[in-house]
Amino acid sequence: MDTFQILLMGFLSIVIINNLVFTKFLGICPYLGVSGRIDMAFGMGCAVTFVVTLSGMLTWMIDHWILRTLGLEVMQYVCFILVIAGAVQLVEMYLRKFFPSLYESFGIFLPLITTNCAILGLCLFINLWGIDNLLEAVVLSAGAGLGFTLAICIMAGIRENLKMADVPESLKGAPITLITAGLLTLAFMGFAGMIR
Amino acid sequence: MILSNIAGLWESAWPAGVTMLSLGTLFAIVLLIASIKLKVVVDEKITQVHESLPNVDCGACGFAGCGAYAKAVVSDPELLGACAPGGAETSEAIAKILNLQISGSGSPVRPIVRCRAHTADRTSYAEYAGIETCTAANAQAIVQACKFGCMGFGDCLAACRFDAITITDGLSTIDYEKCTGCGACAKTCPRNLIVMVPFSQENMLTVGCSSRENGKTTRSMCKTGCIGCGLCSKQTDIFVTENNLAKLDYEKYLPNEATETATEKCPTGVIVYRGKSAPAPRAAGQKPAVKK
Repeated sequence: MDTFQILLMGFLSIVIINNLVFTKFLGICPYLGVSGRIDMAFGMGCAVTFVVTLSGMLTWMIDHWILRTLGLEVMQYVCFILVIAGAVQLVEMYLRKFFPSLYESFGIFLPLITTNCAILGLCLFINLWGIDNLLEAVVLSAGAGLGFTLAICIMAGIRENLKMADVPESLKGAPITLITAGLLTLAFMGFAGMIR
Repeated sequence: MILSNIAGLWESAWPAGVTMLSLGTLFAIVLLIASIKLKVVVDEKITQVHESLPNVDCGACGFAGCGAYAKAVVSDPELLGACAPGGAETSEAIAKILNLQISGSGSPVRPIVRCRAHTADRTSYAEYAGIETCTAANAQAIVQACKFGCMGFGDCLAACRFDAITITDGLSTIDYEKCTGCGACAKTCPRNLIVMVPFSQENMLTVGCSSRENGKTTRSMCKTGCIGCGLCSKQTDIFVTENNLAKLDYEKYLPNEATETATEKCPTGVIVYRGKSAPAPRAAGQKPAVKK
C-alpha cells in the first residue's frame, strides 16, 4: 500500500502540481503551435505521452543499468537524445501508417517532438530527483505526458472559444495566446507546494 | 608525453564509444524492423507528378502546396491544368505520367492591371498620411479622387511571390517575364483592379481604367480615365461600353485593323497593350495622333 501511495502522489504531483508546461515552462513550442484545435491538441498530447513514457522508461534503464555500472554518467545527454529521437521516429512511422490525416496536420511539429524540451527535461528530472525505482520512473513519465496532454487540451479548448470572443485588434493572434498561457499558469500555481 | 595522454584518453573513451555504438545499433535495428512493418506504400505516380511540378508552393491551384496538388491530381484527373506557374508544359508532363490525353491546352492566364494612371495623372484632394497599404487606404475617401484606380501602396507587390510587380510612379506594373499567373495579386487588390486574362497572344490590349463614373467626373479626377464615350465600341464589337466604361470581350479577342483604329481614336488613350513586349502607351491624356 505504501508503494502505491508513493506512486499515486508522484503521479498527481507531475500531472497537476509540478506540471512540466505550467511550472517548468518546458515544451512551450508545441503547446502554442498545435493548440489551435482540440482534436489536434489531443493527438499531439497522445504522441508526446507515448514518446515520453517510452523514453522515460528506456532512459532510466540505460542510465541505471548501463551508464552507471560503466561510470559513464557524462554520456547521459547523448544517450537520452538518441532514445528520444528513436522513439519519435517510431511514433512518426506509426502515425503515418494508421492516422495519415493526423500525420499531415501535425506537419513539422511531429519531428519536433524530438527537440521537445519537456521530454529531455523529464528524463533529466527523473535523474535529478534520484528516482531509483523503474516503476516509479514509468509512472512519472506517463504522468508527465498526461500533464502535457492536459495542458495542451485546456489551451486548445480556450483558444477554440477565444475565436468567438471579441479580442482587441492589437491582441489578436499570438499576444492573446501568450496572455492565456500566462493566466492558465497562474491558475495552476494555486496547487503549488501541495506535494513535494 | 602527448602520446601517453592520447593513449590515456583512448583508454577512458572507448567504453563510451562502444556503449553509444551498441545502443545506436540496437535502436537502428528496432527502427529498421518498424519501418518494414509500418511501411506506407506511396503511389509512384504521386512522386513523379510532384517532381514534375515547379515546386514553388504558390497555392494557385487551390491546394496547400505542390505535394497536396500532386496527390489530388493523381486521384482526380479533372484537376489537370490547374497549375498556373507550370503552365502547359507541366500539364503535358503530368498527362504523360498519368497516361492521359490533353486536348489543346488553353492560353496561359496572366493578370492585367485595369488602371494606367500614374501619380501625376491623378487628382487628389488632400495628402494621405495614413497606413501605407491599399486595404487601409481604400477605407479612406480622401486617399485620391478616383475611387476605382490604383493607389500604388503595393498590396499586390507584397502578395507576389515571384517578384513580378513593381510600383512605378504610383501604378502597379506587372513584369510579364517573371509573372507565373498564380493570381495572388488579383485576390489581394482591394479595388479588384487586377483581373486574370487569358493571354492568347504575347501582348494583349486592355482598357486601362475601371472607373464607372460618368465622363465628366472621370475627366475631373484623372487625365487618362475611360470616359465611356463608346468610340471604340463603334469600331468593333470586341469592345463593350457599359456603365460609362469600355471593356474588352476577351472571348472574341482578335486584334485587327478595327481595334487599331479604336486604340488610336480613343480620346484619352486609355486602350493600351500589356504583355512581355508591349509597345509604350501614348502619353496620358494626349490627343489622338490620327484624326479621321
